[in-house]
Amino acid sequence: MADALLEKVREILEGHIDFEGQRTAELMTTAFLATVGVFAFLAGYIAQNIHYTLYLGLAGTALTFLAIVPPWPFFNRNPVAWLPAQNGLGAIGIEVDGKKVS
Amino acid sequence: MHSVLVRAQNVFGFFTTVAFFVAALIALSVVVSPQSPSASLKLRNVQVVKGRPHYYSTKKEEYAHVKFDLDAGTYTRILVLPPSNNRPPLLTRNVATIDLSTLFNWNTKQVFLYITATYPSLSPIEPPSQAIVWDAIIPSTSAPWHQNQYIHPPTRNTASSSSKSLKSTAAFPANASPGIVRLASQRPKYQITDVTGRIAERGNATLELGWNVQPWVGALTWTNRRDWGYWKGLVGGRSEQFDFPPLKGKKAEDVGTVKGGEKNRGSPA
Repeated sequence: MADALLEKVREILEGHIDFEGQRTAELMTTAFLATVGVFAFLAGYIAQNIHYTLYLGLAGTALTFLAIVPPWPFFNRNPVAWLPAQNGLGAIGIEVDGKKVS
Repeated sequence: MHSVLVRAQNVFGFFTTVAFFVAALIALSVVVSPQSPSASLKLRNVQVVKGRPHYYSTKKEEYAHVKFDLDAGTYTRILVLPPSNNRPPLLTRNVATIDLSTLFNWNTKQVFLYITATYPSLSPIEPPSQAIVWDAIIPSTSAPWHQNQYIHPPTRNTASSSSKSLKSTAAFPANASPGIVRLASQRPKYQITDVTGRIAERGNATLELGWNVQPWVGALTWTNRRDWGYWKGLVGGRSEQFDFPPLKGKKAEDVGTVKGGEKNRGSPA
């Protein structure tokens, strides 16, 4: 019971996503942050107020963190199709102290 | 990007790169912001007194007390005091546009203004001596309040029009913008002494206006007198040459420096 619970907590904290999701996350990080940088600079320059640049930049970065870091469901849409588990029929026999275990 | 920690590290890592490039762009953007500073600086009065200029002076030495007028503002009327203080002041008309407000662009945090007295050394092989007479920290409108920031004294024009209860706490006159400074018969913040202990009857001194622009992001820039791209050099901001007068006798005029909060503003403890 406690082990299962701990396993669940660990899974949530690690937040694994599939390979396709990793590619998407990488691309989104680059695109979002670059856009935020350009937009923050232009907003501050046009308004002639450097505070806009600072706070728009920080807010955009915070949003990027929110969009990328948690394992959102859309990062897990392409799960890897593993081969089915094979029965060890006629395969390795494991012996421990002369006794057959499996 | 497979786990939460790796994704957080990647996002933060790229954020630092973006922040660096945005900061570099901001620092470079001031180059295309036009500057055309100008100012007029006049010597009002200079006296040389022998005494202990500071309470911590260990010996009596000669020190100079320089009063000056500084006008770095767009104005239509200035107050002109005749050389002797017995006559009433005359109002004259002047349509010169003089100001340092173009030093304040979107990336300027504050401008440190200072006035130096420059005079040749006694030995011809030594460089001239420079001593700061007065200084002020002029914040931009985007800078937060700080106790060391300069508070502009009320000018005659604004003092008469605005009510006296409305005390100015800005570094520039009312209805003006940062970079407008109008000082008439300003007392010095610092008295000048010389390493030799003698400053009376030294010749060829000038008062010069200097500044240091401190940006939010980027390089510090100092006074420039030559044009450089969109930045025009400083026009004026230098007084005519004067000589330090002979030592005053016992009956010296008021040679105090500015008092109160203004004395400490912008100067180290």
